[in-house]
Amino acid sequence: MTDMPRRYTMLNRHLAPGRVGLVVGLILLGCFVALFLSRGAMGLPGPEKMDLIARLAPPSPAHPLGTDHLGRDLAARLLAAISVSLGAALTAMSMILAIALPWGGIAGLVGGRTDTVLMRLADIIMAFPTLVLALAVIGFMGASLEASIIGVAAAWWPSTARLIRSLVLSAKERDFVRAAYLSGASRQRVILRHIVPQILPPLAVIVSLETASVLLALSSLSFLGIGAQPPTPEWGAMLNEARPFFTQAPHMLIAPGVAVVLAVVTFNLIGEGMRDILDKRQAYQW
Amino acid sequence: MLKFLLTRFATALPTVLGMSFVAFAIVALAPGDPVQMELRAMGVVPKPEDIAALKAEYGLDQPFFIRYGAWLWRALHLDFGTSVATGRSVISEIGLYMPATLTLALSALFGAVVISLVLGTLAIMAHRFTATGVRVLTILLVSVPSFWLALLFIHIFILNLGWARLIGDGTVYDLILPALTLSLGAGAALGRFVYERAYAEACEDYVRLAIAKGVTPVRILVCHIGPRIIGPLTTVWANALGGLLGGAVIVESIFGWPGLGQLILQAIGQRDFPVIQGYLVLMGLIFFAMSFVADIVVILADPQLRRKVSND
Repeated sequence: MTDMPRRYTMLNRHLAPGRVGLVVGLILLGCFVALFLSRGAMGLPGPEKMDLIARLAPPSPAHPLGTDHLGRDLAARLLAAISVSLGAALTAMSMILAIALPWGGIAGLVGGRTDTVLMRLADIIMAFPTLVLALAVIGFMGASLEASIIGVAAAWWPSTARLIRSLVLSAKERDFVRAAYLSGASRQRVILRHIVPQILPPLAVIVSLETASVLLALSSLSFLGIGAQPPTPEWGAMLNEARPFFTQAPHMLIAPGVAVVLAVVTFNLIGEGMRDILDKRQAYQW
Repeated sequence: MLKFLLTRFATALPTVLGMSFVAFAIVALAPGDPVQMELRAMGVVPKPEDIAALKAEYGLDQPFFIRYGAWLWRALHLDFGTSVATGRSVISEIGLYMPATLTLALSALFGAVVISLVLGTLAIMAHRFTATGVRVLTILLVSVPSFWLALLFIHIFILNLGWARLIGDGTVYDLILPALTLSLGAGAALGRFVYERAYAEACEDYVRLAIAKGVTPVRILVCHIGPRIIGPLTTVWANALGGLLGGAVIVESIFGWPGLGQLILQAIGQRDFPVIQGYLVLMGLIFFAMSFVADIVVILADPQLRRKVSND
């Protein structure tokens, strides 16, 4: 036990980047929410108000981020898009969880033949490249934001279900779960009091990281013109609209791109930060 | 060995069958009547008896599973019907653009593997501050959408520096920027995985023993940790191809690379179901074949697994 204090300080040192990342991620998330809530108080024109005289105007006091090809204020559109882009990602994520939680949970808890059948079915969906499957679903439903959310959810849920299953399996094998079961606790009690609390922290990590990748996929689909349709303000769709004015008005490309990057970084930082804090392993240093 | 390969094939068959069923069911369940849509595309106002006759001609009045069987039989002969938009056969249409997409995806995969190894090794080997820097860079690269990166690259390398051109003719030179765009994000995501696997191994006692014996860090990484993680890494690298095949659509449409991206986006716009279906099936098969081969390579490359296989 003599090396305890030393290992403890090394543990602290290792945790530092993760904790910083988590804090930065949470601050960024707070900024997004605050910006969205305070967008009315900034005195910006409406996100769909056109001003054809001020088309493609560079940033100015009246339009802090400039205007687009229809003279709409970019800052206003960018802020209005927070609810569309993040809302779409969160909707897709809740759809994914709605399928993956029962699917992976039942597979892990019941085990045996049920587990095999459920996982083989999930494998079939996972055998398709995710974005290709999402594209196909959108193709058959017709391009819209709703279709892209459904397409992404349909392509993303099996991998999440697999992760949830593995969490449940490792939680189920712990000695205290067996002890609770042997001491006569009901199945419901074992699941609610002993298994669920174990899988919640790693599940939060998965949800956060998956939200980041879903957000990226949804904005890519909008950029391709098969997600959010104009005039809906959405970061990917705004970049798509900006493409023809690439050389004339580069300012149209910067702000929405930075917004997507920051939003995805937010969820990645939160996810990785939480994982670093949960991870108790310590590598031997050389 | 032959027995091992055959059993592997046998276990893969249900998955492939299931994939074909998904691809068929998506179209069968899609909203809208294909006959009416085709007639409308030809500019004909359909009468109910015409629709019934056409349905009988195409076998669309048959029960679901009989249609699936017929479709599967034709799909086995690579016959996915004709494109509604161009009237040409789907397979020739896809075959025309497939090589470009595969070239792009495979070169991006190669780039991503190299990037992942560099980033992963740097993160595990480097000094604490450098390692933090590498991790920050990794998170940034994972978070930058490929379409925005592509636009930035075009702005920097094509418009400002003039090192490449936007309207290419599909030569290797035109491949560099799209492949780089695609491989940076994928490489960073894979690098995160390399780091995690190597880190998990670095917590094991055999690494502690190697350190105690005075083995150099590079040697520990290459000779002790490397062989242990190369199997899982190969699987993950092979699976990354799926993301790259999908991501190719985005990058192709920006750089004008003559791959399947343009075709599939047009097909989605025109609701050209046969093309979308053929695309889904072929991409699924390529991806599945890649993971299948990777699985076998991993097993055959691992002495312990190989011994188990030859004993069975």
